[in-house]
Amino acid sequence: MRCEECGDKLDRFVDRELTNTEALEIQLHLEGCPDCMEHYEFQEHLKRLVKHSCDCDVAPQAFRDKLRQILS
Amino acid sequence: MAEPAAQTAFAEEALTHLDTLYRGALRLTHDPDQAQDLVQEAYLRALRYQHSYQQGTNMKAWLFAIMRNLFWDRFKGSRKEDVSLDDVGDFVLYDKLRDEGAKPEADVLDKIAASEVVAAVDKLPPLHREVVLLVDVEGFSYKDAAQTLGVPIGTVMSRLHRARQQLQKSLYDYAVESGIVRPSGQQDQVQP
Repeated sequence: MRCEECGDKLDRFVDRELTNTEALEIQLHLEGCPDCMEHYEFQEHLKRLVKHSCDCDVAPQAFRDKLRQILS
Repeated sequence: MAEPAAQTAFAEEALTHLDTLYRGALRLTHDPDQAQDLVQEAYLRALRYQHSYQQGTNMKAWLFAIMRNLFWDRFKGSRKEDVSLDDVGDFVLYDKLRDEGAKPEADVLDKIAASEVVAAVDKLPPLHREVVLLVDVEGFSYKDAAQTLGVPIGTVMSRLHRARQQLQKSLYDYAVESGIVRPSGQQDQVQP
């Protein structure tokens, strides 16, 4: 696999959207290519950063209680 | 109308997804009160139409779809609004930082505050923001995101790609403004 192909599939690899065969091909390429590995680790980190930054918001308890009452 | 016991069970299961819906509504409306109104309306609608929910399918995706459809109907008026995203070209934060001599992960990502990431997400147009919320924040598959949004998987992928590019551009701008990294053409690119 060439670096260009790896880059094209990196989004789907990070999102766990490749087939097992495709993912294995990427994994093998990453293990032998420090530049692509570094790029992959950056993309993974960025995805985690977005998740952890946004998922700290939770519904207020008072709202949760109110909804439970309305829906019961 | 469902039997009371069945309705209670449905409501309890639906409420396990409250945080996902609230987070999504908050990021879409930018307003806690509007977010609560939107989520409450979504739950009431879900209860009314619970017969259309197929047991064993993805309830979180089903509820999110109801909530985001209400958002577009009530808060945006028209689905045709705000569908564009300025083309930032093939801007990739990683490449930009590498070109400038920084170590992208250690030098930059580790120094960006969560509040700045949220601000960058909030700046995305809603149609792109909701894809990031579903895939990156809530962990939806492309397929579930596509079903939730009522678009083909290819549209999810293209919106996600453009949204991530725009996010990276915003984070780069923040990194420059805050002195985490200096723009091209200056020496000592990365601040210690």
